[in-house]
Order: sequence, then C-alpha cells, then structure tokens
Amino acid sequence: MVRAFPYLLRPHLFATRNRARRRERGDSTRGLLFGGIGVVVCAVLFQASTWLTGQLTDYAELGDYLLRLGLSWLFLTFLSFLAFSGVVTALSTFFLADDLRLLVAAPVATRRLFHARFLRTLAQASWMVVIFLVPVLMGVGWARCAGPGYYLMSVLTIVPFSIIPVAVGTGATLVLVNTFPARRARDLLMLMGLLFAASLVILLRFIRPEQLLRVESLPDLTDFFATLQSPITPLLPSFWAGETIFATLRGGRDLLHAGALWTTALASVVILRAASERWYFAGYSRSQEAPKARFTRFRSLDFVARALPLSTVRRQLLVKDMKIFLRDVGQWSQLLLLLALVLVYLYNFRVLDLQRIPYMSGFLKNVYAFLNLGMAGFVMATLAVRFVFPAVSSEGHAFWIIRTAPITLRDFLWSKFWTGLVPVIVLTEFLTVVANEFLGVDPFLKVMAAFAIVFMSFALVGMATGLGARYPRFGADVSQAAGSYGGVAFMLQAVLFIIVMIVLLGWPSSIYLMNQFRSSSLTFAQQIWILTCFASAAGLSIVLWLTSMRAGVAALERMGE
Amino acid sequence: MIVIEDLVKQYGRFTAVDGVSLDVKPGEIHGFLGPNGAGKTTTLRMIAGLLKPTSGRVLVNGHDVAIEPEAAKASLGFIPDRPFIYEKLTAGEFLRFHGGLYGLPDEGLDARARAMLELFDLGRWENELVESFSHGMKQRLVMCAAFLPVPRAVVVDEPMVGLDPRGARLIKDVFRTMSGRGVAILMSTHTLEVAQEMCDRISIILKGRIIARGTVPEIRAMGDGHDDHLTSVFLKLTGGSALQEIDEIVG
Repeated sequence: MVRAFPYLLRPHLFATRNRARRRERGDSTRGLLFGGIGVVVCAVLFQASTWLTGQLTDYAELGDYLLRLGLSWLFLTFLSFLAFSGVVTALSTFFLADDLRLLVAAPVATRRLFHARFLRTLAQASWMVVIFLVPVLMGVGWARCAGPGYYLMSVLTIVPFSIIPVAVGTGATLVLVNTFPARRARDLLMLMGLLFAASLVILLRFIRPEQLLRVESLPDLTDFFATLQSPITPLLPSFWAGETIFATLRGGRDLLHAGALWTTALASVVILRAASERWYFAGYSRSQEAPKARFTRFRSLDFVARALPLSTVRRQLLVKDMKIFLRDVGQWSQLLLLLALVLVYLYNFRVLDLQRIPYMSGFLKNVYAFLNLGMAGFVMATLAVRFVFPAVSSEGHAFWIIRTAPITLRDFLWSKFWTGLVPVIVLTEFLTVVANEFLGVDPFLKVMAAFAIVFMSFALVGMATGLGARYPRFGADVSQAAGSYGGVAFMLQAVLFIIVMIVLLGWPSSIYLMNQFRSSSLTFAQQIWILTCFASAAGLSIVLWLTSMRAGVAALERMGE
Repeated sequence: MIVIEDLVKQYGRFTAVDGVSLDVKPGEIHGFLGPNGAGKTTTLRMIAGLLKPTSGRVLVNGHDVAIEPEAAKASLGFIPDRPFIYEKLTAGEFLRFHGGLYGLPDEGLDARARAMLELFDLGRWENELVESFSHGMKQRLVMCAAFLPVPRAVVVDEPMVGLDPRGARLIKDVFRTMSGRGVAILMSTHTLEVAQEMCDRISIILKGRIIARGTVPEIRAMGDGHDDHLTSVFLKLTGGSALQEIDEIVG
C-alpha cells in the first residue's frame, strides 16, 4: 500500500511531539520567556499598526495612498526574505538533512518526497513571516473596522503569497546544487546573503532619511515618494497581495490579483515538482560527493601565535579556534554585517548636528556619551552572545579530545575567555573612543568611558564564557547555541548589568559635570560618593567576571558525573 | 599499567558498571568483550576520564585518574568508538594541536606528526581538511593522535569499525609493535577473531560485571571444547542461545 505524502512528515511531527513531552531543566522558564517575548512583540506590532493606520485615516486620499504603498512595501520586503529563506531552508531539507539517506534509499517516489519536503520547507521558511504579518494585518483591519471577510481574505492571501517565493527559492536551490556541490553552495549563499544585508544597511543609512524631517527639505517630498514608489512593480506577487488586501479593506474585492496569486502559486508548485522529478536525484547525488575542499592554510597565524608569550597548550588552543573560525564561512561572514553596523553607528555620530541646539549642545553631548556607552555595551553583549557564548559548544562532539587530554578544564575555559576578550575589547573600545571624539565630549567622560568599557568587557565576556560552559549545546550549530536558553539568559543578565553600570557611572558623572558647569569644586562628600560609585561599578564587573568563570569551570568538571 | 579497582557507575537506579576490577600490565593487549549495553564503553570512558565513577578507582601508570587527572591522562592514549575530530582542521594541524595539548615541544613535533601520518598510511593527506576524510581515515587519524605523545597505556573502543582489511591489518601490526615496546593496551571489540588473534588476555563483561577472564585457551576451555573459535563460548557465557530461534523467526 502506498501511503500519501504526509506520512513522510510523521518522523518530524513525532520528534516535535516527543520533544514537547520530554521535560528538561529550564523548560518552563524558557517557555515563559520566549512565549512572553513573542506575545509582547505581537502586541506591539498590533498596537503600532493600529495606531499608524488610524493616523493615516485622518489624511483621507493621501492616507489611503500611503496605506496602499505601505502594504506593497510590507509584502515586498517579505517577498525577498521568503525567497532567500526558501533557498537556505531547501538546501537543508532537500539535500543536506540526515534522514534523506533513509528516504532516498526507500521505495518512495520522487513526487511524494517532493511534496513532503516542500511542505516542510514552506513551514520552516515562512513561519516567522506569518507570525509577523498576522498582528500587523489584524491591526490594520482593527483600525479600519474591517469585517470578517477581510480577515478571511488575509489568510487566503498569505498562503499563496508565501508559496510563490519559497517555490522560487527552492527552484534556485535545485539549480545551485546541480551546479555546485551542496556544501559549497551553502557557503556561497551565506556569504551573498550577508553581503546583501550589509550593503542594504549601509545604503539605507547613507541616503540620510533624517533630512526628510527638516522643514527646508519639504520640496523634496514628491521626489521621496517617487523613490518609494519605484521598486513596486505590478508584476510582483507582493503588489498583488497588497492590492488584494487593500481592496478588501475598502469593502470591495480584487479577484484579479487574488486569482493571480493563487494561479501563480499553483503553477510554481507544478513547475517545481516537474523540475524536481527531472533533476532532484542528480542534485542529491552531487550533494553526497565530497570534493577536495578548498581552504586557506593561515600559516601566518601559526607564525604570529609562536611570537605570543603563551604556553604551548594555550597557543595551540588559540590557533585551533582561530583556524576553525576563519575556515567557516557561516561564522566569519557575520563579521561583515557587524562591520556594516559599526560603520553606520560611527557615521551617525559623525553627522549628528548638535550645534542646531546651541544652548543645549554641551549638555546633550555628555548625555550622548552615556548613550554611546550603553550602545557599546549592547554591541559588546551581541558580540559576546554570538561569538563567545558558543565557544564551548563549538567544540561539538570533538570535546572528548580536550576532556581526555592532560589539561585542566580551567585552562581550557580561560583560554576561551582570553580568545573572546581581545576582539571584543578592541572593537568596543574603538567604537567608544571614536564616537566620543566625534561628539567632542568632556575629557573626564572620555577617560571614564574608556575605563568602563574595559571592565564591562571583562564582565560580559566572562559571563558569556561561563554561561556557555554551563549551558553547552554540543550537537547544535553555533547560531542555534546562541539562541538557546543559555544564550537568552545571558542576554537578559547582560542587559541588566549594562543598565546598572550606566546608573553607577552616570549618576556620579552628572554630579561632576554639574559642578564643572557651575565652576565650583567638588565637596569631600561628593568626591567620596563618586569614588564609591565608580568602585562599585568596577567591583561588580570583577565579581561577575570571576564568579561566572568559576561557575563555568565547575559545570565543565561536573559533566562526567 | 592500567589498574581498575571495584569500579561502579550508576545512572539513577540503573547500574551500568558493577564492581569491575581489571589489571592490564605493560606490554599486554587485553581484550574487553561483551554484548551491546554490557558496560564496555562506560568502563573505558571512566578510564579515559570522560565519566566520573560512582565508586572505585582507576590508576594509569600509578596515577589515580580522580586525584591526578592530568598526570594519568598524560600517560594514556584514548581512541573512542566514533572518531569525532575538528572538521575544519587539516590532519597535520590536528596532530600538532593534539601534541600541544600533551605538552610536546614544538621542536620535532612536525617530524613526529608526519612520521605518525606515514605510519597510519595518511601521509599524503597531511594538508587536507578532516571534513573530506572517510570514517576509516578519521579512525586512523585518531589513532595517530593517540600514539603521538608516546603513551604508556592505550584504551581503544572498537578499533576495527569502519576499517578496510588493509587498515585493519595495519592497526593490528601497530598495536603489536606498541605492545612489544611495553605499551599496555585495553581494547574493547565485538570482532571475536580480532580478540582471539591479538589479545594476551580477555575479560568478558555482562550486565556490568566481569563474568570470565583469562588467556584465549583458558576462555576457550570454558566452552564445550568442540569449537576452536570464541564465538560459541561468548554466546554460551553471554546468553546468546536465543540465536537458535533465528531459523524459526526468519522462516
């Protein structure tokens, strides 16, 4: 008896069910945390779209035009996201998943396998978009008092709208895998995607949208709308989706665009299925080949490491970690995005025109210095959660090598700490010093911020290393480890720590600056207060750093119990 | 060289290893046999310092693994059943890294690593990433790493899995040579022919307890005396009589 294709989805469903049944430490906290964050994000999206739609309603024709434009832009953004997500997900579900060996070897027709895998690709690639779109569209409907027809049509629009780009992405993957080996195609895609994202961030920032807020630039408003209108073409499914929703919102029906969505979705699946029947096995076969890998030897790294005053063990651990990082495109390419964000960050301070508020510029500069310190703290926390927290997990199943070697786990973890600390401290110190220089803040604040970054780096990198050792995910890839329970717990603690540090540093600094503004000298009590606050900030950082590392080492040592 | 005294490992109420004692002398190849789930790998992992025993102790080269783990590990080479290695390192880089962990000086490390790779027939793969290796090649690379720091004792979990006949022959020769030089080898295996061919003594473990120990002729004598191979003795001792029902099931 040949079972229908949903049968092939059973292992995935059973695995999900079994995962839900199995209770692990921290499950309830994780559920509450992620569930809470999800609910808050959805509520904010709903509220924001309700408010915005309400505001636009006040502008009659112009408001409708802007709403229509906004819907097209919303769908256009998701269209590219879904297509890219489809490419990446299809690589994994159609070509790299472990269970494919079992399924391809089994007497399963390509057509059934295609249906099952495409459904899985669609679900994996689009769930995030759907979760984002639902509260936004609900908010729009709520603000315009739309009837049940609107909500029904929204569902009927989202389904084909998701299918089309995911099918296109899956098709692109089919072509890519038949051209390059699957693993190299994945690296190539990862790099292209991140370069695309980085250039988009830089481009959007360098257009300087803040100029639109200036009264003197109002004549340029029509040009601005023309620019907004230009990427929206009636040939894209995003336009059809926007038009369908907008027509329903006004109480009408746009069957032409709804029909275009559904027929295109159906056609794309049929065409993709035919292509899959023709080329899937050839692509899958290629993805099994293990080509001679191309890579860089990084001999200079060995040379530099030898020159460092490190013990043999620490030097070998450092060289190993660096080489593994630099040879993994998925890892180092994320630095490109980070670099783009840093450039934008510094550029913001470069173009910040505080002189427009002459009486307040001195005060604002110093407030911005603390904002800058907070931002540097968040950059630090992001870097730490992405690159330092997974340091222990990144050992993966090869961790036995370390555990059976004649080195202490303390040495191992401290080596991870120092390897993570150096780039974090260099980057955030650079960010803070350069931004404060651009702002021209008070020299006292410059020195204080520079010292604060050093202490904060030690604390945050120590916390990330320690928590990474307490909650390792050896079976997961690095990004999954960063998004795990331990990663989220780290981010929460990091945010709390940054806030406390800003308070401990900002309060005494304001006393100092206020005295300087009044040209009076600090009283003895004020001096003691300032010193106490600064010492508390330093003490808190040191305590967090050392206790986190100690807890991390203890957790690693308990691993064999 | 490897001494185990009353080793116990419990997972909750389940006892995986129940009072195992063993003594592997310098130059001895000791076979560790038993059916799946008998406690072989758990015992070996406790010797390697990967698992903490519930009670009992393990001595390697006179060092207690619980009290002086670094000194004990420095004398021991461990070869796990599944060769997980850093995929993004080359074979040469992995060996140099491993040598560094064992405190081998930089001088001469390259030459030693190269010699080990040649010995295990991996010389021409020195500068290739591990991710492009087959299972058997990774297994041989792990063995290179285990023998690189000149250990006094080696613990091997299923050494022949994934090896072709040439590789298996090579490993047997290397193990014999190393034991000839005084290295104590404790080897778990399911391949009874390998145990019969290579081991000086054999211990059979069942449900966490050692149920038989001796030289190959001594173990063979525990059977019915009609079989030159260990298979019938192994089945008799470990309760493999269910195999007789196979004909009925297969039909």
